[in-house]
Amino acid sequence: MASQEYSPVAAAVGMDENFLSLDDILMSQEKLTSRVETVFPRLGFLEKSSDETDIAVGTKLEMPLWLVKGLHDGKRRIVSVELPKIYREGWRTVFSADPNVVDLQKLGPYYYSLGLQMLHFDSPENLEIAQTLVQTYVGRFRRIMDSSQNAYNEDVSALVEKLDVLERSLFGAGQAGLNGFQCWEKGHASRITASSLVKNYRKRKFADLEV
Amino acid sequence: MFCEKAIELIRELKRAADGQLPAFNEDGIRQVFEEMKALYEQNQMDVNVAKSDGRSDLIPTIKFRHCCLLRNQRCIAAYLCVFYDRLLRIRALRWEYGSVLPTAIRFHMCAEELEWFNQYKKSLATYMRSLGGGGGLDITQDMKPPKSLYIEVRCLKDYGEFEIDDGTTILLKKNSQHFLPRWKCEQLIRQGVLEHVMS
Amino acid sequence: MDPSEVEFLAEKEMVTIIPNFSLDKVYLIGGELGPFNPGLPVDVPLWLAINLKQRQKCRIVPPEWMDVEKLEVIREQERKEDTFTPIPSPYYMELTKLLLNHASDNIPKADEIRTLVKDTWDTRIAKLRLSADSFVSQQEVHAKLDNLTLMEINTIGTFFTDSLNNLFKIRANLQPRGESTMSQEY
Repeated sequence: MASQEYSPVAAAVGMDENFLSLDDILMSQEKLTSRVETVFPRLGFLEKSSDETDIAVGTKLEMPLWLVKGLHDGKRRIVSVELPKIYREGWRTVFSADPNVVDLQKLGPYYYSLGLQMLHFDSPENLEIAQTLVQTYVGRFRRIMDSSQNAYNEDVSALVEKLDVLERSLFGAGQAGLNGFQCWEKGHASRITASSLVKNYRKRKFADLEV
Repeated sequence: MFCEKAIELIRELKRAADGQLPAFNEDGIRQVFEEMKALYEQNQMDVNVAKSDGRSDLIPTIKFRHCCLLRNQRCIAAYLCVFYDRLLRIRALRWEYGSVLPTAIRFHMCAEELEWFNQYKKSLATYMRSLGGGGGLDITQDMKPPKSLYIEVRCLKDYGEFEIDDGTTILLKKNSQHFLPRWKCEQLIRQGVLEHVMS
Repeated sequence: MDPSEVEFLAEKEMVTIIPNFSLDKVYLIGGELGPFNPGLPVDVPLWLAINLKQRQKCRIVPPEWMDVEKLEVIREQERKEDTFTPIPSPYYMELTKLLLNHASDNIPKADEIRTLVKDTWDTRIAKLRLSADSFVSQQEVHAKLDNLTLMEINTIGTFFTDSLNNLFKIRANLQPRGESTMSQEY
């Protein structure tokens, strides 16, 4: 079945993005505080509070990652980007103390993917950022594995609450393995079941499913 | 900000989790195209001015709009890549529902997607006919290793008359229970008409 | 892989049955079966054994290892060792489940056997997780895992490979990349 089932294009997780991945497109929509380093003529209207025709040097704008990446130029500074606080030293100290206490859903939720994307901007802290990402992942791994492999037939929303998007999909993979095995052990594995699409459409109360 | 409509299309697709098919948003796509057209025309104008009047200060703005064009293009490609994400979902429908889709789902597909679905259906059928030394083999059956030729099923809704192997017909009435050839009812179970009862 | 597919593979394992009917050799694509004579033990694949058993055409002889004393030894050894001990059958879980579900009347102390096998499985899975964790936390690059069965690998496989893939991708950026990747072409 696996080969024909719908499986979406995965996020790339890294400095490159997967062009067609919905997750990567949404991740690159994350807003970054940026400072404009050169005049942008005729784009003043993008700033709601201003009546100017141009965007002036020094203006601070919330720009999505994709735009900052597109405008970023190693030679000529057009925009400079502020490192989101979760990747800055203060938070890095928190992560190295105990990565498990951090609510990555609230602070992320694309903590790892976005963190790796931030490496594009030649920050002097790049090495530290990259190291923290690895340590955080490793430090949180055990808890994700145990919770995903132990929670059978229960509400998992509390368990995934603080996980970032990447961790959630990992948790899902663990649950799929556990559920498959439990289902087999109970003798339900060979049962033919209604398609998940049918179940979902029914949930959404499609009254007429007649062909 | 530019490209808001495009990201809305992507969010829409993402919200329809588990491979469902949201309604094809022709209007949203048209709006993105309009924005792209406007961006392109403005850029074209500014490029000409920059060239003829040496206004190199316009370059950052041109670059800005260009980024937005590329972004819209990417979002549309991912959405529309009708031919990709949506097609993967549509292909999954053939395996889940069989060759005839419920109207509620057909309603969510645009004409080109229906056409694609029909073509996919045909090539799958051609391939399946060619299997087994020309005898044909339905490879959408027995997605899990079958344990027996006949299985016990319960009817979840009034379906009507149903013809089985030997030419006899039985009446599939809600809550009635039957012992039927597995290959005859697998698709109906997937469609939620029957339920597989395990002893 | 779906566990039902793993079980399907397990159904090819040979078991001994004692039929109560007679039948000449049967020639199938997968090999010859029989001949069957009442009271004479014969080896057949598990799927056939269960089918015959369901129709009360035979008695199943449990595999040699499916025995309380032997399984107790295996369980103790599994608990004592840090590594995975060799298991008597690569399909021990599947065989236990299928035989106990369909032929428990032919297997002495069926309930005890069920518990022993489950204990062994639990011990092994706990070990598997422990080693997965130390593999990740120490950021090892290779490991040797002997004596694992397909069902065990299948249960944690996707999770484990996914997590290693993620780790690899996150770690790949510890070294600064060349400048060529920084420029964007329009």
